[in-house]
Amino acid sequence: MAEAARKLSLASWAWVLFAALAAFELLADPVIRAAIPREEAWRQASAFVRERFEPNDRIVAAPAWVDPIVRGELGDLTELRIAALPDRAGVGRVWELGIRGATTFDAAPALERNFAGVRVRMWPVESPKIIYDFVTRIREAEVEIDTDAGPLACAWTRGRAAPGGLERGPMMPAERFVCDRARPWLWVGPTILADLELQPRRCIWQHPAGPDAVRTTFIDVPLGERLVVRGGIDYQVARRRYHAPVTLRVWIDDEIAAELVHHDGDGWSGLDIDTSAHRGSDASVRFETTTSDPYARLFCFAASTQTEAPRD
Amino acid sequence: MIDTRKLTRRDHVIGATLGLIYVAALLHTAPDLAMSRDESFYVHAAKNIAGWLSELLTDPASALDPDHIARAWRYNWEHPAWMKLMFAWSWLAQEHLGLFPRDSLAFRFPGMLTAGLLLWLIYAWGASVMGRSGAIFASVAFATMPRVFYHSHLACFDVPIAFFTTLTAYAYWRALVDRRWIPVLGLAFGIALATKHNSWMLPGIFIIHFAVLHADQARAVVEERTPMTWLASMLVVGPLFFIVTWPWLWHDTWNRIGAYVTFHLKHVHYTYQFLGVSYFEPPLPFSVPFVMTLFTVSAVVLALAVAGIFFERLELRFPWRLNPGDPTTRRTDLLWLGCLLAPLLAIALPSSPIFGGTKHWLGAYPFLALFAGRGLLAVAERANLGPWLGRQWPSRAFAIFCLLPGAIQTAHSHPFGLSHYMPMAGGVPGAADLGMNRQFWGFTTGSLTEWLIEQLPDGGSVWLCDTTAGAWAMLQADGAVPHNIRAARSMSEADFALVHHEQHFAEVDYQAWVAYGTSRPAHVLSYDGVPIISVYENPARHERGGAH
Repeated sequence: MAEAARKLSLASWAWVLFAALAAFELLADPVIRAAIPREEAWRQASAFVRERFEPNDRIVAAPAWVDPIVRGELGDLTELRIAALPDRAGVGRVWELGIRGATTFDAAPALERNFAGVRVRMWPVESPKIIYDFVTRIREAEVEIDTDAGPLACAWTRGRAAPGGLERGPMMPAERFVCDRARPWLWVGPTILADLELQPRRCIWQHPAGPDAVRTTFIDVPLGERLVVRGGIDYQVARRRYHAPVTLRVWIDDEIAAELVHHDGDGWSGLDIDTSAHRGSDASVRFETTTSDPYARLFCFAASTQTEAPRD
Repeated sequence: MIDTRKLTRRDHVIGATLGLIYVAALLHTAPDLAMSRDESFYVHAAKNIAGWLSELLTDPASALDPDHIARAWRYNWEHPAWMKLMFAWSWLAQEHLGLFPRDSLAFRFPGMLTAGLLLWLIYAWGASVMGRSGAIFASVAFATMPRVFYHSHLACFDVPIAFFTTLTAYAYWRALVDRRWIPVLGLAFGIALATKHNSWMLPGIFIIHFAVLHADQARAVVEERTPMTWLASMLVVGPLFFIVTWPWLWHDTWNRIGAYVTFHLKHVHYTYQFLGVSYFEPPLPFSVPFVMTLFTVSAVVLALAVAGIFFERLELRFPWRLNPGDPTTRRTDLLWLGCLLAPLLAIALPSSPIFGGTKHWLGAYPFLALFAGRGLLAVAERANLGPWLGRQWPSRAFAIFCLLPGAIQTAHSHPFGLSHYMPMAGGVPGAADLGMNRQFWGFTTGSLTEWLIEQLPDGGSVWLCDTTAGAWAMLQADGAVPHNIRAARSMSEADFALVHHEQHFAEVDYQAWVAYGTSRPAHVLSYDGVPIISVYENPARHERGGAH
């Protein structure tokens, strides 16, 4: 009898384990849903940031998957240059709107407030000052492509933008330099690249034509301590890692200043060219792309002349 | 080898009732779901086939002309005919009799019907080998898997093939002791072949199972061994049915069969996000089907299935553990285990093309549910709940309690079935934290129609991202969106552009930023706080005077 009772007790415990698992699922569900911030919380947090927002502030989301919600509330405050930052320059402060305890920075914030599950934090950041942003000034450039008959100028044109869509690469904007209508990918203009980490990068699309160079020249560019260049290839192509490398040569006043050879898999990368010797002077700056095989070389670069931000 | 209970009329009433209730629930909830990408392709194919069927009835000589067959059947040649024929017949019924309140339902109804029949079949097979309560539990546990509920609505092949593979397995199991089932087995396998290529693995499962059965019988020195005539039925009737029902194969047969097989063996890889990584070429991690099952099926149902397998481990023992004179069985649980594991392992293999979605191994879940039914009965029996409390209701209450999480989650998952994750994954936001796939097929656009109608009272255009023009046209035909809100071919021409959030769709987000000069969406459709679709507004719309 005692043995039977003991068995009954053990068996009952097994039953309770399954019931407990069901109870866990039943109870966890409302707990999970209750932890989701309401729209009102997002609105209050956004209003708080909007009141204090300054030009050159950057707004980020934590975790990254709430980014569309954060942009939906505050995206109008941020220029595309900062929303799709090519490098760390030109940012004054970082605002973070986060939920679920997620964070993008480990450092203690200068400001923190909570709005029913949405946490707002702010950090002042020291970043270089941008003197000249080549992406913003692309329309002022001269673009040409080498051909058998010599260099051929590419005209700034207003045409039809790309339709958009998955695996179509960065958006071809309506206004751009058009180099060869027979090769519709051979244009130069501002766009946003999804880099190998799927991060947005505001940049100048300059798909190489092959061994013949595509050149973009900016004249009277004010120089600072550095000329910062970053480049990358579209995610959908770069992730396969089997196409030819792209060479980007940077010329300052007809002298080669640097050469970046970008391979698939390098991600968003580049170089900082020391221009401190020319600081305060103007120069012409030329960007030249070539490749051994132009197939699917969806290359895009960003560049700016920069100087250290003055310290307070 | 008697290890089954004869099904009674009452059993079939119960099974049919379960199926009917499910189909009614699917019919009731279907309007909330816009058509998915794949559905729109099958609808197009079904309309072509319906035209051909009409011609076949009125002018058979013309219909059988090779050019006419090719014209009707070339589109979507990579999928066999059976369900597309069902969609086509249903569409003809809609055209001539107006049976359904919406056009989309005409195409979806045959798939829903297979979902209802599958519940009946799960119950029937379960009731043949265990108590009715376990069989009912299995059937309802399957019905209340959120992903199963979503796919059961669709004019696709995934739930139908789950039904036909289960039916084939059932017919094989019956045919082992009853010769009358041998032709039924061939026919069922033929329908499975003619539904989807998941059926290709069935002979392998059955041969392994049969080999074990034969080894049992040899070991136990059983004089009358089970004959292998079932295999002949499968190999003759099955392929014959496959070809006869698919007119595309009536000409240039071998080349077209070769192309069909090659298409699926060398299938393109879909990009699929799993634990933060977007996989776009093999190998997909081996764990994908198992972790996805853990995250999308109720934990208590899974635990009961594991318990069911554990308690039936004697049925799974090696043949050499038998002694001469030992009784042998049909090894039902071994067959179930094979049918459960094969679809999961097929996707888990490093050489398999990347598909990703749970729909590709839905065929495993009827057997998971059957094991859960086994587990439920074993646990309740060993706990001795009824006599212990002096009542029958504790056992029933326990069963209902174990079904509740799945039922509640299924209700909550609608109409975001593919975005839904169980509490085990932390729910929808927890899965987003873990970097799990958010959705595919663009069907969530159906949850935006009210907002779009509100924004475009005088009509306009929408760039649809992952939603096909065919799916949008079906929303219009169903009256869910007016015809003056049209699908735009280009973001820059549209009033609004949609971006369906999947990790690798980030580039489309950025395209919209460039096209409209802003990173601010006008609206974000969320599910449990997780973004599903961003809608961007074209600033040119204001210049055109389209905004109110």
